[in-house]
Amino acid sequence: MGLSKEAFENQVMDLLGRLHGVARRLTGNEADAEDLVAETVTKAWRCLNTLASEDAFKAWIFRILNNTFISDLRRASARPRLESIESEDESEDEAMFSIFEQMHQPFLLWFSTPEQEFVDKLLREDLDKALGSLPDHYRVVVILSDLEEFSYSEIAETLAIPVGTVRSRLARARSALQKVLWAQAQEYGLKGSPKQGCHGSTTDAP
Amino acid sequence: MTEKEIDCEQALKQILEYVDHELEDGNQAAMEHHLHTCQSCFSRMEFERRLKDKVGALREEKVSSNVTNRIKGLLDSF
Repeated sequence: MGLSKEAFENQVMDLLGRLHGVARRLTGNEADAEDLVAETVTKAWRCLNTLASEDAFKAWIFRILNNTFISDLRRASARPRLESIESEDESEDEAMFSIFEQMHQPFLLWFSTPEQEFVDKLLREDLDKALGSLPDHYRVVVILSDLEEFSYSEIAETLAIPVGTVRSRLARARSALQKVLWAQAQEYGLKGSPKQGCHGSTTDAP
Repeated sequence: MTEKEIDCEQALKQILEYVDHELEDGNQAAMEHHLHTCQSCFSRMEFERRLKDKVGALREEKVSSNVTNRIKGLLDSF
């Protein structure tokens, strides 16, 4: 693919916010995110001949970013952590948690749609904190699915795990994320809504 | 052709795959039919979709001038 240096630079700079945003969530800290983006851009430039077309640039460079992160993690991690990324842990058969089910209590029905308002009122920093608190193998599938909009088969290919594992891991990861968000909401002191003053609620939800 | 029908239990099992656009055509149609007729499952689907969108919005981030300068410097070095 004969992409000019100028076109490469423009593509990278146009995508920098998104590359950095994803890198920040993958690595969990600013310094590693910067290094990951820099390493990704360097690798992308060196293997520019593997880019099929300019239209494929975004998917191509994000694939390099993911693969670089996962390779770095494999290199840096102790083996148990590596296994947690690549294989399903059978011991994680925990009960699924749903904020929707928590908020759909009969005595909360006087709210119109409390669970939708819960989501609408969530702050970016709350979500960021909750996502960052998840273990690597959960955080990575949520990032690949929700931030990078990868299909299950693309996630499976990236992580070298079966599609069925992607499906079950995503369900568990989202359950874990909701559990953290719910705990945060309770820390704020409201049980039917995440922020003081959202509904003016002082309900005694469980 | 008669559309496949699913109940709430089956719908809930597939709701994340629906939100992720991962259901096959037949299951997708059955899910859409169910969602048109069941307010509770529709609300659950809407909740999951909104949460997914909200998490997805973390992808965009304002980049600091330090990061921009570092990457610009890197590009100049190629």
